[in-house]
Amino acid sequence: MLSLRSVTKRYGALTALDGVSLDIARGEFFGLLGPNGAGKSTLMALAAGLRSPDAGTLTLDGGVVTPADPRTRTSLGLVPQSIALYEELSADQNLRIFGALYGLRGAQLRRRIDEALAAVQLTDRRRDPVKTFSGGMQRRLNLVAALLHQPKLLLCDEPTVGVDPQSRNAIFDYLTALNRAGLTIIYSTHYMEEATRLCSRIGIIDHGRIPALGTLDELLTRLPFEEEISFPATPETAPLAALLGADGTLVSADGRHRFQPRADFRLSAFYTRAEALGLPPRLFTAARPTLEAVFLHLTGRNLRE
Amino acid sequence: MRVILTLVRKDIANFLRNRAAVGLTFFVPVALIYIFGWVFGLHQKDTGPTGIRLAVVNASTNPAAQKLVDALATETAFHVITTRELPDHTTRPLAEADLRPLIHDGKFRFAVVIPADVVRTDGIGLHLKILSDPRNEIETQMVNGLLQKAIFSHVPELLGQSLQARARGFLGEARSDQFNRSLARAITTAFGGDPATVQREIEAGGLGLGTLAQPAPAPSAAPPAPPAPAQAKGATPVQAPSAAADFLSRLVKIDQEQVVGKDVRSPLATQLVGGWAIMFLLFAVSASSAAFFDEKSSGLFQRLLAAPVTRAQLLWSRFVYGVGLGLVQLTTLFTAGRLMYGIDVFGHFGSLMVVCIFAAAACTSFGMFIAAIAPNAQAANGLATFFVMVMSATGGAWYPMSLMPEFMQQVGKLTVVYWSMEGFAQVLWAGRSFRELLPVLGVLAGITAGVMAIAVWRLNHKRMFE
Ligand SMILES: Nc1ncnc2c1ncn2[C@@H]1O[C@H](COP(=O)(O)OP(=O)(O)O)[C@@H](O)[C@H]1O
Ligand SMILES: [Mg+2]
Repeated sequence: MLSLRSVTKRYGALTALDGVSLDIARGEFFGLLGPNGAGKSTLMALAAGLRSPDAGTLTLDGGVVTPADPRTRTSLGLVPQSIALYEELSADQNLRIFGALYGLRGAQLRRRIDEALAAVQLTDRRRDPVKTFSGGMQRRLNLVAALLHQPKLLLCDEPTVGVDPQSRNAIFDYLTALNRAGLTIIYSTHYMEEATRLCSRIGIIDHGRIPALGTLDELLTRLPFEEEISFPATPETAPLAALLGADGTLVSADGRHRFQPRADFRLSAFYTRAEALGLPPRLFTAARPTLEAVFLHLTGRNLRE
Repeated sequence: MRVILTLVRKDIANFLRNRAAVGLTFFVPVALIYIFGWVFGLHQKDTGPTGIRLAVVNASTNPAAQKLVDALATETAFHVITTRELPDHTTRPLAEADLRPLIHDGKFRFAVVIPADVVRTDGIGLHLKILSDPRNEIETQMVNGLLQKAIFSHVPELLGQSLQARARGFLGEARSDQFNRSLARAITTAFGGDPATVQREIEAGGLGLGTLAQPAPAPSAAPPAPPAPAQAKGATPVQAPSAAADFLSRLVKIDQEQVVGKDVRSPLATQLVGGWAIMFLLFAVSASSAAFFDEKSSGLFQRLLAAPVTRAQLLWSRFVYGVGLGLVQLTTLFTAGRLMYGIDVFGHFGSLMVVCIFAAAACTSFGMFIAAIAPNAQAANGLATFFVMVMSATGGAWYPMSLMPEFMQQVGKLTVVYWSMEGFAQVLWAGRSFRELLPVLGVLAGITAGVMAIAVWRLNHKRMFE
């Protein structure tokens, strides 16, 4: 449905997207997982035709996406990363404006607005100014505002930032239902839990490149180890941490070390060393790796740096 | 077009939700127009300054000097002070020595001293001393003008006396006497009258023509002729108040004809309403253009441009909105002007609307320009305030441009404010036809086109709509 071929986008000296190629199939729930500054929003802007690439092409259903041509826009919806609403106006007024811009009128527009507000539980607040809404309510409205015209492709750019768990779940359920009903979704996030829970396929994005792409299982099997071991970063574990560098990757964050062993490294050797240093086994937790471990393995960095 | 209308409707809805903006666009200017109406005296029947405190010290024994004092006292612009209250609540006449400390203390800002030698002998003219605290230059000029008017219209004989004194200095007593006598004889031969009386009048500075003011009758046979009693008592001849003045007014007879603006109560009212209207319109459209920054940073431009909306539509919808807002605001304020000052708004409604549209377009382009050159919303607001103030001051929105130096008047002609107000004045004050308005409309359209071209270029250059 959407294809990127060697797409490059620069802002002055900075290369925000670096030769990205990507194919999104109809009906996919595609996750774009990467930290801040990875190039997620830039990719969304190019896909929505808001900016043009410096090199490469983007096509939507075979037609080239360019800022100059507004007509192909009716088939896609964009949920901007920021809350792009007129906050002095009511939820109703906002939706009427955005619906009208897509050519919706009269009874049809009213029906779509009613449905949209009901879907995100905002019906009883529809006449209130958006600025009186909680962050979660604003996010929900920000989402449905992109759906009134019933696009075929939805671009969701970090739609849950700053949202309470309840609103987050409401958004997840709504998007899942839409996807089941046939909507193609590209969903960018820096939360691996979201990508894990929602997406049928995930692209890892970092520094404007997509180094890995696939289903969750495909990505996890790319890892050369089956378990990673974490333990607290304390003075007594410091000698152990110093020993591990040669045998795999060691990352430290939030007062814990995470050790991802090299393929040929045997975990039994790890425990032998720990024992030799007098560290009790209860300090160590072995776990199945997550997407975060994939990101770490691919980039040598944590997702949330 | 539908897209533009939707976007305009969006701007209107946003505007109506913003009480501060609505107040600043409609209610504040109406209030200011009302208040400044009082300042300019538009609410009173007879305009002009009143009650300027003026101290007068008369050290001259010349009877004409006292007449000058009396004349100043009757001038409504002045509140004449001639005495000073002492600590024991008694009063005494002001002396020249009192004036400086009292002016210094702010008791009054203007004082006239008529010295003993009010009639100069070393040249033609009068010797008056005017002390002032010219805190307000306009007021000072006005006071000087009023003093001159009082002298010319009430005591021209003082000038006549000065001429006489000067002649005496040149010719000597005897020859000047002889000159006066022959002049009196010549006058009476030509116009009739008693040569001795006429000669006394001439010597008193009356130019000997007082008799001409009274048609025909010989002085002896005319009981109401004012000079008669004075002559009878043999006192210093006193010229009838009206005679010489009347003569002067005959010498320079000015027929005044007001060519334009006959129907309007005051040109100031048109100027007042137009000036405040344009100034606040400029503020309103600048604020509306500065909202570009908010729409950009909140991601609204992304949302709008991801819809079937082009950058041009975003830009021109804001332009259409600005013109519409301007039209409504100007119409409202002129209607207020009609209610308060009787400005003939409805007599020229069509032409006025045309001028309003062109003025609003020019103002809107200015707002776009500010948004285009400013790096962010705060800077845009700051720049707008600065430019609107400067343009309003130099363009004549606050006070008539004729009060400004020539150079500043030329600068003022570079502003949207000047040309908009010129348009209003031409319609409301001069009642020009549509055809006659074309030059002003052309200038406004030119400003709009030029400024918009720069604004669009800058907005695209700095990727405002991305
Ligand atoms: N308009 C812009 N001008 C200059 N640099 C930009 C602009 N937008 C984004 N960038 C830079 O491009 C890189 C990618 O940004 P972005 O696509 O917003 O990343 P993400 O959405 O993944 O956080 C970042 O380094 C960011 O600072
Ligand atoms: Mg982003």
